[in-house]
Amino acid sequence: MDSSNDEALDIIITNVVATFRTRCHLNLRTIALEGINVIYKPDMGKVLMKLRKPKITASIWSSGKIICTGATSEDDAKVGARRLARTLQKLGFKVRFSAFKVVNVLAVCSMPFAIRLIDFTKKNRPIASYEPELHPAATYRIKHIKATIQVFSTGSITVTGPNVQNVASAVEQVYPLLFECQKPRCK
Amino acid sequence: MSPKACKNCGSSDIDVDHARGDAVCMGCGSVLEDNIIVSEVEFVETGGGGSSAVGQFVSSEEGARNPSFGDSHINGMGRESRAQTLQKAKQHINTLGHQLQMNQHCLNTAFNFYRMALGKHLTSGRKASHVIAACLYLVCRTEGTPHMLLDLSDIVQVNVYILGRTFLVLSRELCINAPAIDPCLYIPRFAQLLEFGEKNHDVAMTALRLVQRMKRDWMHTGRRPSGLCGAALLVAAHMHEFRRTVKEIVSVVKVCETTLRKRLTEFEDTPTSQLTIEEFMKVDLDQECDPPCFTAGLRKRKVQQVNGRVEHEIHGYEDEIDAELESSRPKLRGVYASYVKEDMCELTMEALLKLERRGLEEEEEEPEEQEEGGGGVPKRKGPSLESILGPMPTASTLGLSESIGTCIGDGKENGEEVKIKTALWMAENSDYLKEQREKAAKIAKEKELGIYKEKKPRGPSKKRDPIRASTADEAIGKMLEQKKISSKINYDVLKDLNIKPCPSPARSAESPIKKEPSAAAKLTGRSRHPARAPLSLSTPLSTLGKRSVGGRVVCSSVHANQGLSPEKIRRFIKHRITAHPGTLMRFYQFCPCKHIQRQVLV
Repeated sequence: MDSSNDEALDIIITNVVATFRTRCHLNLRTIALEGINVIYKPDMGKVLMKLRKPKITASIWSSGKIICTGATSEDDAKVGARRLARTLQKLGFKVRFSAFKVVNVLAVCSMPFAIRLIDFTKKNRPIASYEPELHPAATYRIKHIKATIQVFSTGSITVTGPNVQNVASAVEQVYPLLFECQKPRCK
Repeated sequence: MSPKACKNCGSSDIDVDHARGDAVCMGCGSVLEDNIIVSEVEFVETGGGGSSAVGQFVSSEEGARNPSFGDSHINGMGRESRAQTLQKAKQHINTLGHQLQMNQHCLNTAFNFYRMALGKHLTSGRKASHVIAACLYLVCRTEGTPHMLLDLSDIVQVNVYILGRTFLVLSRELCINAPAIDPCLYIPRFAQLLEFGEKNHDVAMTALRLVQRMKRDWMHTGRRPSGLCGAALLVAAHMHEFRRTVKEIVSVVKVCETTLRKRLTEFEDTPTSQLTIEEFMKVDLDQECDPPCFTAGLRKRKVQQVNGRVEHEIHGYEDEIDAELESSRPKLRGVYASYVKEDMCELTMEALLKLERRGLEEEEEEPEEQEEGGGGVPKRKGPSLESILGPMPTASTLGLSESIGTCIGDGKENGEEVKIKTALWMAENSDYLKEQREKAAKIAKEKELGIYKEKKPRGPSKKRDPIRASTADEAIGKMLEQKKISSKINYDVLKDLNIKPCPSPARSAESPIKKEPSAAAKLTGRSRHPARAPLSLSTPLSTLGKRSVGGRVVCSSVHANQGLSPEKIRRFIKHRITAHPGTLMRFYQFCPCKHIQRQVLV
């Protein structure tokens, strides 16, 4: 979804984080020994399993809670999670796929213009904050959608939100504000 | 409460006597008040005749109650916890503030911020020091003082980002909108630290102009203000003929060298950098620039496009070349497959053997291909000629000469290029080829004669059977028998050297057994203790082999006891051993022991 006049704004989803539960205790040691493409982290009490097909990294805890990161779309995340549950099933655990929830979506978007960050921060005072000593981008938090947008002076923005819809609406919301504070292109 | 009217008779004439502390009605004479508390300054005589006022200092803060009031030290609840927290916070703020040279007004404001934060429960779950530092920084920002978050984190010894996070939370919760940092604020401070003397102001002004120009040119968004200041100050210093190195500026401004250099390069890219100093001071270019990362991104995209096009072309050429080559060498695909699959670095014996068998047609192709394809055909085809020829000598020397002959003889291709390439290659490697041919011829001849020995890698030197002896002397004697004895050494004298028996026969028995092959090593084994240094020269000497005694003695003594100077050793040896000095010297020079410092014995 874009609200520009001429060109289309590509919102590229770079990361989707989802969690689900297997409803059974998992023996991390067995997974670490018998699983393929696993990294065991005993100090943190989890096993990392990486899948190839939907490129996903999953952190598996012994309680049966699993976090999947690295997917490029919500469907991908679900497929990956299911595949992961199947792998665990094959290893011998009584896995029941339940409580699948997409927790975080990270998307990247690039504006065709540069942005004046200080102006932008001044105009959107409490919602936007800009601390050049700490981070080169201005952070804009939309409370009711629960989305955070980081605006860089080059015009690229990164949006994080609980699902893809929110992310899209956040971009829509912020676009006019950015358009106001754009820097006219020269050279 | 001063009574205005008497309760008994109603008269308003009341006499209050402060000395006695009474209030008496003049009408009826009834005492209305007794023991009136007065607030007068009293003086007490101190030891020594002086007088001092009676009283205690009480702090003006709420909650700082004096525990000892009067004589009783009744400390019921003590101070309130909230009051205590505030007291502590005030102390910390004042300490930190004084370290940063902040004025009292700022410190008071900071304390107010802290109180607000306390009220909103922002201090729970955070370290007190973090919150205090964040409050102080908030004040710095609102007042516009040239204090950086980095300074604060230096003093408090906390990570900048952690402090920053706390600061952001505070500013958000307290709804305090701190104005954005202006790099111009930092310039006077840094200029002072850089010690420009009288010209401080001028340099500062120039740097200010530079920073303003940078702002116009969009170099300052998203960057640390200190970096820009550093770059501006560097240029300003140079403009006013002060020599400030990058390192000095880095230590003051607290950015890294790379950042500084990057800023300078970016500034170089702007049109302002083309102006001379005078022009810069007068003129202000209207033209603005894009932010540098923006231009960098555009440039990257352009380069990528160009690369893409070039790559396309290269791929096109590559394909053509491949097609040509493959069409003319259908047979070689098999060999190639085996090559390509193998690792370039580890050309195995089989590969090399295959090479021999199939003749070196591939080699012929390699150089030609390499040169034809040029940059476009990099490492896609099999290993290079050099890597093949590298391990070749060991295995395929036998086959090489003939293969080359066939190579040269019947070239598979009739193209002109093939001939040129072969000629070039032959010319380059003619020496090597000649060598190989000679070697091969020699080996062939030897084979005919039946003498040809397979070259084996040098194994370890031959080990003698371990001597089994009960005492050191026995072992030495046996060793003597095994080894040949030098005719030039007087062994009787050596035997006399045997003064003390060895403390641990096991050890001494061990060492001759174990370290047999080289007596020098044996000596070192025995002579671990410097105290037994002379001993080391004693018993074993009698057993040492020909030519080895003197030299080895020298070697071992120097090796084992670095304290012994060669002079000493020489004198000792000459006295005890009648060895020809020349022999000694010669041996010493060729001693295999590498640890020894080669000190000239003469």
